[in-house]
Amino acid sequence: MFSESVLRLLTEDLLVRVLEKLGSDADRKSWRLVCKEFLRIESLTRRKVRILRIEFLLGLLQTYCNIETLDLSVCPRIDDGAVSVMLSHGSLNWTKGLRRLVLCRATGLGYRGLGQLIRACPLLEAVDVSHCWVFGDREAAALSYATRLKELKMDKCLGVTDVGLASIAVGCSNLKSLSLKWCFEISNLGIDLLCKKCLDLEILDISYLKLTSESLKSIASLSKLEMLVMVGCSFVDDVGLRFLEKGCPHLKAIDVSRCDFVSSSALTSLVSGRSSLLQIDARYCFLELSFPLVECLKNLQNLTVIRIDAVQVSDLALQIIGTSCKSLLEIGLSKCIGVTNMGIMQLVSGCGKLKILNLTCCRFITDVAISAIAESCPHLICLMLESCDMVTEKSFYDLGSRCLLLEELDLTECSGINDRALKYLSRCSGLLTLKLGLCTNISDVGLAYIGCNFPKLAEIDLYRCVCIGDDGLAALASGCKELIKLNVSYCNRITDRGMEYISYLGELSELEMRGLVNITGMGISKVAVNCRRLADLDLKHCEKIGDPGCWAIAFYAHNLRQINLSYCAVSDVVLYLLMGKLKRLQEVKLVNVSEATVRGLELGLRASCGRIKKVKLQTSLSLLLSSEILDMLHLRGCKIRWD
Amino acid sequence: MQHSNQQRCEDPSMSDYGIRMETLFKECNQACGTKSLLPCGSNDGIKIPNQENCQMGDTSQTGKLQDWDPSIMLENLSFLEDKIHQIRGLLHLIANKKGQQLGQPDEIITQEKQLITANLTSIIVQLISTAGSLLPSVKLAASNTSPSVGQHGQIPGITFPSGLGPSSSSIQPQHDIRDKISDQSNQIDLTNMCEMEQNHMEEHELKDEEDGDEGENLPPGSFEILQLEKEEILAPHTHFCTICGKGFKRDANLRMHMRGHGDEYKTPEALAKPNKESESEPKLIKRYSCPYPGCKRNKDHKKFQPLKTILCVKNHYKRTHCDKSYICSRCHTKKFSVMADLKTHEKHCGKDKWLCSCGTTFSRKDKLFGHIALFQGHTPAIPLDESKAPVGQADMEITENNNNNNNNKGGSINLSFGSNASSCENGIQNMMNVKGITDDPISYLSSLNFETCNFGEFNDFPRPPFEDTTKGSFPFLMSESFNYSPKCGGESCPNNLL
Repeated sequence: MFSESVLRLLTEDLLVRVLEKLGSDADRKSWRLVCKEFLRIESLTRRKVRILRIEFLLGLLQTYCNIETLDLSVCPRIDDGAVSVMLSHGSLNWTKGLRRLVLCRATGLGYRGLGQLIRACPLLEAVDVSHCWVFGDREAAALSYATRLKELKMDKCLGVTDVGLASIAVGCSNLKSLSLKWCFEISNLGIDLLCKKCLDLEILDISYLKLTSESLKSIASLSKLEMLVMVGCSFVDDVGLRFLEKGCPHLKAIDVSRCDFVSSSALTSLVSGRSSLLQIDARYCFLELSFPLVECLKNLQNLTVIRIDAVQVSDLALQIIGTSCKSLLEIGLSKCIGVTNMGIMQLVSGCGKLKILNLTCCRFITDVAISAIAESCPHLICLMLESCDMVTEKSFYDLGSRCLLLEELDLTECSGINDRALKYLSRCSGLLTLKLGLCTNISDVGLAYIGCNFPKLAEIDLYRCVCIGDDGLAALASGCKELIKLNVSYCNRITDRGMEYISYLGELSELEMRGLVNITGMGISKVAVNCRRLADLDLKHCEKIGDPGCWAIAFYAHNLRQINLSYCAVSDVVLYLLMGKLKRLQEVKLVNVSEATVRGLELGLRASCGRIKKVKLQTSLSLLLSSEILDMLHLRGCKIRWD
Repeated sequence: MQHSNQQRCEDPSMSDYGIRMETLFKECNQACGTKSLLPCGSNDGIKIPNQENCQMGDTSQTGKLQDWDPSIMLENLSFLEDKIHQIRGLLHLIANKKGQQLGQPDEIITQEKQLITANLTSIIVQLISTAGSLLPSVKLAASNTSPSVGQHGQIPGITFPSGLGPSSSSIQPQHDIRDKISDQSNQIDLTNMCEMEQNHMEEHELKDEEDGDEGENLPPGSFEILQLEKEEILAPHTHFCTICGKGFKRDANLRMHMRGHGDEYKTPEALAKPNKESESEPKLIKRYSCPYPGCKRNKDHKKFQPLKTILCVKNHYKRTHCDKSYICSRCHTKKFSVMADLKTHEKHCGKDKWLCSCGTTFSRKDKLFGHIALFQGHTPAIPLDESKAPVGQADMEITENNNNNNNNKGGSINLSFGSNASSCENGIQNMMNVKGITDDPISYLSSLNFETCNFGEFNDFPRPPFEDTTKGSFPFLMSESFNYSPKCGGESCPNNLL
């Protein structure tokens, strides 16, 4: 009764303000469990819902009627029928305020359902239908009902042609952001019409489309365009960039990565004189960072991001960039040729604000460069040093003492890394992501340092860290309770005991453990039972897991969304159970599943048909599986990848 | 070809042009339909040259006609009277000889028919052309300035038939077609020739664009400007047989035709090109002017752009200054004034797959997109054919049926789909009718188990198939699964929000 009186003091608005302070989902969950009043407040103020299971869809929509964002991307079985049920059952209050709809990978959905859903939500401003590879012009036409749409992402909607794009361009003329990446059927005509109808476009992604320079002529007429992403437009050449040069006065970001026919000089003339430019992406674009381009970078004082992967650079060029572009927050030099210690030192000396630095495969840099980075860039958040072999523990002493804001560190294949290096990093307590793949010198001691020092760690990659064992995992599991993503593939010393430690990680969602030959069904059962959030599990080549392990997975890992059982010994029955019982399962890899027969596989596929969106099978099965099941999978929006 | 010709003539929806033609047809058919013998056909045949002469004089005068001379008008009128008299005589003959027709052998009958037809045709042509010359030339005389008079002499490109003056051919279309049709019964060769000719003509027309000379920049005076009269332009044929009056588009075809009129026309000399030597002389470049006053192609226009060939003139004039009297027989909407344009259109008509929401169709995607870019609110319409249904209804049902027959798979599909198949079916049934879905959601619910938060459906999940299909290990497994199932149901709703 005392608690009641306390709560009476807390008026609704006060509760709302308290709730607003709660960031993480776990905290919100605890809040919900306090009492009905708290639950009610939470449901009234919740703005975003991500549905994991279709069973709860209707109930959740009724509870959270004030949502602005509805995410159905990971919900299985979103099809036309489901949509019509959603819209015909209970109150439709939730549609009234809905502004953002995420239907990414909703491959089962057709134009009827999509149309119904879009029409039901009058205020819809953003829709994401990316990776709905079955989508075509009809679906695009359905999208065009959303007349207030400002943001549309339709990456990899393979069937959408110019006609579909035209419907959208005409219907949604207020579009500000549009991504058409991988919509291969779209041509110049569609883009031209888009640019005539959607004059408010600010962000446009036309990556990998088969467009020519003619399209850029149309795009140049977009006076409000701020960001143009055209990765891999290999038919666009300098002529196209010349068009852009004259148009798009507000352009802030341009990405010409992998545009094979765009030359350095064309980019130079586009960039020069645009002092408002903030971001330049020219990865894998030209061979050399030409001097004129570097010269014109001098004028870009506001430039915050520059990524020039796989380009030959000189010390002088890096020096000019470093001394003139003082606002740089991110530099990408991945796989650049000619990156030296001197170059890096001169680059970072001027970039005091730098937050992200990618030096992947810059093999010639040593501790000297890293020390210079640590010295000059105290705000560094992300440092990628994959394959920088010459970097040793000494670097990490400097990093650990100066770059205390580090959140992401990629040290894959840095063979100079050892346990002591990890010890030096101990002061970077905010570290979220740590990649130590192929760092064979890391042992359980190193993992103990990690466990002690990085309580917030969300992702760790220990791929082929062959020296680590169960004890290391014990330390890791006891310290890094927030771990979401763990990769222990080919760490062969891990046994079932290690699995037990892993099972203590309550937040674990992705576990990759390929080739762990010592793990049996017992070990994986513990993970399946305790890691309730497990969504992605890779068991490739875990040959001892067998039926009992998969059984446990089938019955306990309800949230599993992806599983790789390739080269595992699973029998027909268990495979069938697994596929049938895991209601969230959407992606399965079943290459060379020993002990499973064709019939078993077929049964399993049937059991999961409708939910499953992607299957990987060995090629030899393409003839053995009945055409019915293949057709059926295809019709329900499931893509089969033949290995 | 034949078909389209007939269509052209029979289409009642055609403009006055067509109607006029029809009435003339009747006359002609009547004339021909009498099918009587003409005993003095030979006499008539002899007469024709006289008539020609007569007309020759006439033609020389038609040039002056434009000056609107009453005396010439009178002359013309008397000429008309003569001609009417001649026709009357002919018809009388036909009427009298009707009875004698029976005993004659077929060959003679057909020969005589031909003669009569030829005579009638030529007389009527002369009649009409003279009559026609009376009226429209007045207008032209008013609109055309003096140079045009001089030009009449300078049209070597077209060798006019002796009997027809340049400005007197306004009614020639009728002549042509009537001729063709009336010939169809008895002069098949000729008809064929005609048709062949038209084929040539069309191909030619398709290639020649009236605006082909757009970029040409000849200095003024470096070329000779010729202006044909409206009637000449509209006349389909420019070469006429002096014997039967049949018209041709090419002299070569006329020469071929002449062979049928006697051996004297079969000599190589007669068949050879008449004035070959004249070609060797240096010629002034010829350019053409459109007779339509105010037209950019008219030589009086400030920015006069001459037309390159007579064909260009013809096409230009028809396209720009004439009614579009040819209507597409497929879509009944598109109209053309040039036959070849119609033919071109008809080749693609119906194949217009690019459809706008306003109902307009386009044969080309870029045209549709241009249209959409121009008009607010228009969108491309997506054809309604259901080539790819998002969830294949038929296939699904079929597979299901198949599987029911097949015990092994049948059970499993009923199961695994359990909820799914029915929802699918239902969805499909309702797909055509969206209302249906909203009206009847219960069917989904029963199958999809939407509302239940527990995993009750797990219990009834894999049971039947295994019981049906497999014995041995499966039932055992099932019992295991039951033991686990309560645990599965333990999850609470909020857990499922990430």
